[in-house]
Amino acid sequence: MTFTHLHVSTAFSAHYGVSWPDELAQVAAADSATALACTDRDGLYGTIKHLKACTAARIDPIVGVDLAVFDDDGDHRTQLAGRVVVLARGNNQGAGYRALCRLVSDAHARTSGKAGGAVPVAVTRAELASRTLDPRTLKPVLTVLIGPDSDVGQALGGRRYLRPRTLFKRWLDVMPAGTVVAEIVSQLSAPGAPLSTAHAVRMLKLAEEHRVPAVLTNAVRYCAEDGAATADVLDSARTLKSLPELAAEPLLQPNGQGWLKSSGQMLQLGREIISAAGYGAADLKQLMAQTEALADLCRIDPVADMGWKQPVVPEASVIGISQDPQVELVQRCEAGIGRRFPGISGTAEKEMRQRLSHELGIIRNLGFSSYFLTVAEVSRMIIDMGVRAAARGSGASSLVNYLIDVSQVNPLQHDLIFERFLSRDRATLPDIDIDVESAERHNVYRKIFDRFGAERVTLMSMQNGYRARGAVRDAGMALGMDEGDVGEIAKQLWRFSARKFREALAEKPELREFAGRVEQRDFTENQQLDLLVDLTERLDRLPRHISMHPCGVILGDATLLDRTPVQPSGLGLPMSQFDKHDMDPMGMLKLDVLGVRMQSAMAFAVREVIRIHPSKAEVVAAGDHPAGPYGTGPDYIAENGHIDLNAVPLDDEPTYELIRSTHTLGCFQIESPGQRELVGKMAPRDFNDLIIDISLFRPGPMKSDMVRPFLEHRHGFAPEVYPHPDLKPVLQETHGVTVFHEQILKTFDVMTGCGLARADEFRRILGNEALEPQVEEYFRKEARAKGYAPDVVDKVWGTLKSFASFGFCKAHGAAFAVPTYQSAWLKAHHPEAFLAGLWEHDPGMYPKRLLVAEARRLGIPILPLDINRSQAEYRVERVADGQDRGKLGIRLSLNGIYGMSAAELKRIVAGQPYDSLADLRARSRLSKPSIKRLAQLGAFDSLHRESGGAANRADLVQHLQRLQATGSTRKGPEVMEGQLALPLGDVELRNVKPGLPAPTLVENVRAELDLMAIDVSGHLMDSHRPLLDRLGVTTADKLLGLRNGTEVLVAGVRIATQTPPMRGGRRVVFISIDDGTGCVDSVFFHEAQEQAGLLLFGTRLLLIRGTTRRTGPRGISLSANMAWDLSRIETLPFPQPGPENADVPHPLDGISRSLAITGMGG
Amino acid sequence: MGMFSESVDVVCTASGQPLELQWAGRRYTVCAEPVRWYERRQWWVEESRAPLGSGPGLVDHEIWRVQVLAADNPRGSNGATQEPLTLDLTRHIGSDRWRLLRIHDALKPRTA
Repeated sequence: MTFTHLHVSTAFSAHYGVSWPDELAQVAAADSATALACTDRDGLYGTIKHLKACTAARIDPIVGVDLAVFDDDGDHRTQLAGRVVVLARGNNQGAGYRALCRLVSDAHARTSGKAGGAVPVAVTRAELASRTLDPRTLKPVLTVLIGPDSDVGQALGGRRYLRPRTLFKRWLDVMPAGTVVAEIVSQLSAPGAPLSTAHAVRMLKLAEEHRVPAVLTNAVRYCAEDGAATADVLDSARTLKSLPELAAEPLLQPNGQGWLKSSGQMLQLGREIISAAGYGAADLKQLMAQTEALADLCRIDPVADMGWKQPVVPEASVIGISQDPQVELVQRCEAGIGRRFPGISGTAEKEMRQRLSHELGIIRNLGFSSYFLTVAEVSRMIIDMGVRAAARGSGASSLVNYLIDVSQVNPLQHDLIFERFLSRDRATLPDIDIDVESAERHNVYRKIFDRFGAERVTLMSMQNGYRARGAVRDAGMALGMDEGDVGEIAKQLWRFSARKFREALAEKPELREFAGRVEQRDFTENQQLDLLVDLTERLDRLPRHISMHPCGVILGDATLLDRTPVQPSGLGLPMSQFDKHDMDPMGMLKLDVLGVRMQSAMAFAVREVIRIHPSKAEVVAAGDHPAGPYGTGPDYIAENGHIDLNAVPLDDEPTYELIRSTHTLGCFQIESPGQRELVGKMAPRDFNDLIIDISLFRPGPMKSDMVRPFLEHRHGFAPEVYPHPDLKPVLQETHGVTVFHEQILKTFDVMTGCGLARADEFRRILGNEALEPQVEEYFRKEARAKGYAPDVVDKVWGTLKSFASFGFCKAHGAAFAVPTYQSAWLKAHHPEAFLAGLWEHDPGMYPKRLLVAEARRLGIPILPLDINRSQAEYRVERVADGQDRGKLGIRLSLNGIYGMSAAELKRIVAGQPYDSLADLRARSRLSKPSIKRLAQLGAFDSLHRESGGAANRADLVQHLQRLQATGSTRKGPEVMEGQLALPLGDVELRNVKPGLPAPTLVENVRAELDLMAIDVSGHLMDSHRPLLDRLGVTTADKLLGLRNGTEVLVAGVRIATQTPPMRGGRRVVFISIDDGTGCVDSVFFHEAQEQAGLLLFGTRLLLIRGTTRRTGPRGISLSANMAWDLSRIETLPFPQPGPENADVPHPLDGISRSLAITGMGG
Repeated sequence: MGMFSESVDVVCTASGQPLELQWAGRRYTVCAEPVRWYERRQWWVEESRAPLGSGPGLVDHEIWRVQVLAADNPRGSNGATQEPLTLDLTRHIGSDRWRLLRIHDALKPRTA
């Protein structure tokens, strides 16, 4: 006899289920079950994983859901009447699964999608009833299990004999015939308690009275007994109550018997229930047979019922084509040739055409042409919105993508392999990622919903699992520990999985103190700490909730919502209950539409260029662009001055010159200290160099020491080595070092003749312990057969094997390199607009203040805040007077001033210009503190000057401070509707009493740092200058002129601290400081870290001693050997005893804002 | 009703059902069909460890309610028919050790 479990929650029943679908399926299969159900709570969160697990375990999947039902007698919006299990019937061409999806979506339709919403996830009985019949055939397609958690089951414990009968009758009245069964569960709890045999007997008798079939389940929450304790902790996390509290209520499971019992145990359980009911062997047989009969009805055929692995794309009519999609695609590619390859001929054309027909052939065979047209449609739609978009990822490997304007990279030019993206051996929909302006991402989502119809689009979700910190918090709460204590412990947990907690206690220095407390077991609290560690490990990785994936959008045809249940996301748009792992199995087309701040910054810069230079001629002159084919400038600049960044040729020399200069702050991907060092060493000359640079600067290549040999070979310091001359064409571009996935593919192909498609399959297997030996065997055999010597085969296999951990797809690198190049191009030609864009959208890794230093280095004036000239965004502005007259400067934005609300900002800008403070108060209704802050920042200085007053900024601030203190509620003279304010100028400003000394530069800088987190009037190191001169400090701009190995002192404010992964595992700390003339990147190796001690991470102003390390023709950094805290003057190494420690006021005094970044970066 | 936690030796049937028990030096036989259930433990108070893979018995223990008669003297010391005793026994699932948890009847066992 086999038994089928029909009620099983997996770990994807968040805060409820304990075991993963594959554990459950394996245990069931090992007990010779032939099917297993997955009935997660509130959704189909684990359903697809369950399908996968069942397929692997060779059993049939059964799918269902455990749902709450609204109380028909109560408030329909909030009151619940128990839970039921709903199973989809199978082998009906998906009718059952369809109904299940729709039912689950119904249950979520009224919820808000936000945490803590008042409306629970539940269905009404009427909804449930209406979904149980297939609308086409009117046959039952769902079965509802009325069990111990239902209103009927809950009433079984009461004294009222009739109550459960009334409730059960009500179910039978509402539900269509043949859709209800009684679920008999005994978890062997104490006689008369919920989940006791006595209750099971009552339910069984009720079923018999009403001639409703009864089925036996165990309402499973965990695979084996061991999971019961985890379930207790999850109950605590779900209800936000400690275990002692829950036990008192009592709300915990009555015991730990809710596991996936074996067939034998279930039969024995059935026997006990039947015998307690006073029934006989025939009744037992019937109970077990009815259970199996329902299981058989509900066996799902993954392919026929759920469309397993069958890709579905939007209907051709939706993407606006009336002919065969393949014909359409071919035509669009043809049209693209003229645009992308103007004037191509001869061999080049032949190669291009060969590649095109190769790609189109594969696309046709896979039937994916609609997919490409869909992506092209989305791409076109985004561009038509005026939003920048760029394809990223392996999609750049496709010539078709390039021709239909999905990608901006010519795969032929960079030797990108189509098979890395798509091949005849890989029938899953490939990923095409589209980067859009971050500021426009949500608008793009909404537009996609509009364009394709809400029935064809949904956002993808992601599962958020427990990590160490969350796990320790919830474990602590379960144990009833003090929240503060647990919080302290949680703070120490960083970057390791909860499962390794006990291990980490033994190893990590930051956990030493806690480990000590666990060791001392004398006290009860330490018993608790020991339990805390165990429970934390139990929670590790278990799903907590789903949320909107940061970029995934699912596109389908009109049946999409029959195939995935949806629920509201925080954004309001519907979100699928499936995550990225479910896309392939369900044949779902997922687009990654990722918001990228740099795209927003670049779009902003392009708009600023037009605003300042509204014609092609002006832009060409300002940006020093080439004269172009007709002498009027290049084609990529339109007559109105609009620059088509995607059309800018990738060979602009000033752009590469800028990159080689290492002054790449603000440029995409190449601004980190490590990258600046690498571009300095590598000195990229063309776009391919940029691709290699980006691919090399990754944890894998850095760790496995690929960078050094690459650079040595590139600069000719060491001869290039190839394992075999045949591999030279493959590895030449990276001087014999294997960097790209594409090179792996070609290596396989060259040495075994396996073809690129198979080579990509092999590449995917590398690193997979189970399958890799087969690849190795094949590789060795075939390579030997092709006559390669054993040592060559050994060596190449070694490279291939180790590659698995770090390889990078060249197409990714190429796609990344496009915005890198474009941002560097903008910085080289239109630095003012580019910097304004950076400030506005803050895409980079550095604090904004560093960009001020960069502007200063570039000689771009930064124009102060001005109530009439500053806008809600950073603006490029031509300087009207003063020493910078005629230059382009950047006007600071009113946005981002501490304490100013968005509404105030909006009103200020709407009311500009203002002729007086009174006018400002009357029309912008600014709060007094905001007015004072604007005064401190000098926003009224020009208004003040115009008024002819004799007082200075300090006087004005004092005046406003007094007004604020008197608490007068008057906002200024009332202006009657229709009455014109008299043009009297600003009487108030004119009459501010002079007397105070003007604020010093230091005071102004301090106000700026405090209120805007940037120092504009002067660099915050300026006030240290005399001190630094005495110390003999070298400034950043002078470093490049020094010889390698010169010992120097440098000083500045910390801008970045990074501890990248390093070969050998020894920690290396990179600290970058800024001294107003530029950045100094210093590296602290082990010795220097010991010397510098606490200063490494804690100090903002640093004095560093080190020796210069030339990193390339234009790059220099510092190998540090000692550091000091610049603000502790008495500790500094003065060459001779100086005068008394003058206590210099410093802009940073009293400012606690964080001005630097820390972390991995890069 | 008395509450106890006293070790007892239990002889079971092949299916794990108590048949006889040895308690306070006397032997008792089970005289009626026993009832069995599982009851929760306050494991977070009673245990100092709960690591993954602890196996069964952490969250609950097995309870058997048995009716027993003293085996050596089925007719009692005064010759009257002996009243059966109702006892709750617990079996620790992990260790398979039995303890006496409760005695339900008002009559205390007569000591010899």
